[in-house]
Amino acid sequence: MVSKNCVAMILAGGQGSRLGALTKNVAKPAVPFGGKYRIIDFPLSNCVHSGIDTVGVLTQYEPLELNTYIGNGNPWDLDRSHGGAYVLPPYQSGESGEWYKGTANAIYQNLGFLEAFNPKNVLILSGDHIYKMHYGEMLRAHQEADAAITIAVMPVPWEEASRFGIMSTNEKGEITEFAEKPAEPKSNLASMGIYIFKYDVLKKYLTDDERDPGSENDFGKNIIPKMLANGEKMMSFTFEDYWKDVGTIHSLWEANMDLIGNEPEFELSNKHWIIYSRNYALMPQYIGENASVKDSTITEGCDIDGEIDHSVIFSAVKVGKGARIKDSVVMPGAVIGAGAVIEKSVIGPGAKIGANAKIGIDPPQEGNPYASKYCDHGIVLIGGDVEIADNANIIKESMVVAE
Amino acid sequence: MRYDSMGIILTGDENIAPLTDIRSSNALPIAGRYRIIDFVLSNMANSGITNVGIATTANYSSLMDHTHSGKPWDLDRKNQGLTILPPNLEKQNYGTIKGNIDVLEGIRDFIKRSHQTYVILCMSNMIYNGDFNEIIDAHIAKQADVTIAYKKLNTAGEDVLKRYTLLDINDDGRVTDIEVQPYYPKTSNGSMEIYVMEKALLEGIIDECSARGDVDFIKDALVKQLDGMRVYAHEFKGDLYKVDSLKTYYNASMSFLRAEKRNEFFNPERPIYTKTKDQSPTKYGDEAVTTNSFISDGCEIEGTVINSILSRGVKIAKGAVVQNSIIMQDSVIEEGVEINHVVFDKEVVITKGRKLIGQESYPLAIAKGTHI
Repeated sequence: MVSKNCVAMILAGGQGSRLGALTKNVAKPAVPFGGKYRIIDFPLSNCVHSGIDTVGVLTQYEPLELNTYIGNGNPWDLDRSHGGAYVLPPYQSGESGEWYKGTANAIYQNLGFLEAFNPKNVLILSGDHIYKMHYGEMLRAHQEADAAITIAVMPVPWEEASRFGIMSTNEKGEITEFAEKPAEPKSNLASMGIYIFKYDVLKKYLTDDERDPGSENDFGKNIIPKMLANGEKMMSFTFEDYWKDVGTIHSLWEANMDLIGNEPEFELSNKHWIIYSRNYALMPQYIGENASVKDSTITEGCDIDGEIDHSVIFSAVKVGKGARIKDSVVMPGAVIGAGAVIEKSVIGPGAKIGANAKIGIDPPQEGNPYASKYCDHGIVLIGGDVEIADNANIIKESMVVAE
Repeated sequence: MRYDSMGIILTGDENIAPLTDIRSSNALPIAGRYRIIDFVLSNMANSGITNVGIATTANYSSLMDHTHSGKPWDLDRKNQGLTILPPNLEKQNYGTIKGNIDVLEGIRDFIKRSHQTYVILCMSNMIYNGDFNEIIDAHIAKQADVTIAYKKLNTAGEDVLKRYTLLDINDDGRVTDIEVQPYYPKTSNGSMEIYVMEKALLEGIIDECSARGDVDFIKDALVKQLDGMRVYAHEFKGDLYKVDSLKTYYNASMSFLRAEKRNEFFNPERPIYTKTKDQSPTKYGDEAVTTNSFISDGCEIEGTVINSILSRGVKIAKGAVVQNSIIMQDSVIEEGVEINHVVFDKEVVITKGRKLIGQESYPLAIAKGTHI
């Protein structure tokens, strides 16, 4: 086989437990985002636009929906005869076989896959970030510098720097120090969890790390510090565009809200960097006689007869007459009954909200049976396929999960 | 899967100026994200037919761009699948196609090398959502030579019936007479121009007609042999639109604003497939007003849209008012524009403050790329 210059590996095995009911039955990368996408569409589309045509997707937690979604990779133009998209679950081999223990171990277990393509470089991505990035530019910088590893970093506000893995760099952009969530950050360059390794370097460090019984087999905790200690050439690549970790219900909601407006924080309509997704045969959206839609995005298959204000409505959502939805995210196939009122909520896929129900209107209260630590900042999450009765009242900071 | 039958779609070219100046009528955008051919192609796919040929006559680059490999219909197959059949102009009929027999003669090789027993032959200007298995099964049960699908157009006026091929049918369902677009319609059984027959019979008809210089499959082959051949009719109970003029195109499109028509034509059990474009969701601005409209993805709406159909990527600026109109892909309606009863082809730009008013009985159609 012809060797590849760069193969991408997307770490998509995480549960994303802080997304609560949204990841009850699906892995985090398969969580719907932005009206018609899923989170994994972003790294996959970025790969294709960056000229990377071989992508391994490492799955572990609730893989069915994610595997089905990726399929043969066709929606991202990744159905290739040589290369393309591969779903890589943990597997049994000979007498052994085990779950992925950490990010580094997950790649280690798939060295056989990488070996088949014999790439010069390996791009490691995580499947839970929303951003548009040209990995090709990062790869060029990596190769020009002849670095062992290049790590994408982004400047974050100083006051937030202690929440991230922080890289200190010298004037040449070389990484001199790495600190995971430092109390007193020396730099405000946060690691984005995007790495390009020289393949032989990656192979060596992963193999050594696997032999170390004390290691947690994690890139951030083990591999990067070890490389620094060994004096490898480690470069930073600064990214200054929109990037969002959608690890919590509130951040997922916020990232959806970032798509709204005449000049949104994050623009998806750029025809030169289309985010691809699996398309279903749905009709155009129908906006009814009684509807009012303002400051929102709506997509195919919807049938809207209520009032929508400052919200993101996903595909095939039905909104009954007199319903009012404000500052909310309504995921695919949800049905909102007539007269229901919804504010600052995330309504999961296929959820049914009864007529005249109130969701996220009344303030949080002691003794709320649906109170959840995952729902802060006043947000409400109604899990996928949950049915809320007519006239029900779900107060702020509630999470309702299907039984 | 319907392995015993193959599909042939003849793309008759209706003149719906100026929309058909640049494309054949079967590739005309309709209902926002679709093309007219999507209906018959999806019906084929939903009926489990996996060998489909589209015989083209002229202006077919738009059609080819749309169907591509046949992927949206799951017709990108290693064996058979979708075949686009350009006109065969190297025969003696060079440069002129006098009738559909010429077209069929041109695709003889395709028909010959297909291994199915039955052929379902359709025209591309009819819009319906139906299951071809019903008519093929009826054809086999009746041991018919040819079975024609028809729709009872009982409530249609003479002006409508005149545009159809009409069938006289006896109590047994046998066709006793066929009239092509008669001046004085005798019956209201409108042919859907869907014909089922054995492949061998179709090949025989092509041979015989071309040997005699006959050019029309209906007038020359069927009508003249109604006594000798068992030609049966099979009633279709769903809705049917024949799109052969701007008026019929406009009316068919506007009917999709009614829920019962959307449910009939876009039945989720038998989806209509089309080429996907990966457009981002449609954005509504803070002053947008939209009611009773069918809107595709990738639009930006800041003005008012009432009783209208928008294709993908249409921009409606603040203060613009769009009513009772069909606006195709990537058209731009600038600030303060007022339009009513218009059909804009793709990439039409209407600049600030202009007005363009058609009539319900006479919608105004504007050619692709026009700047007003």
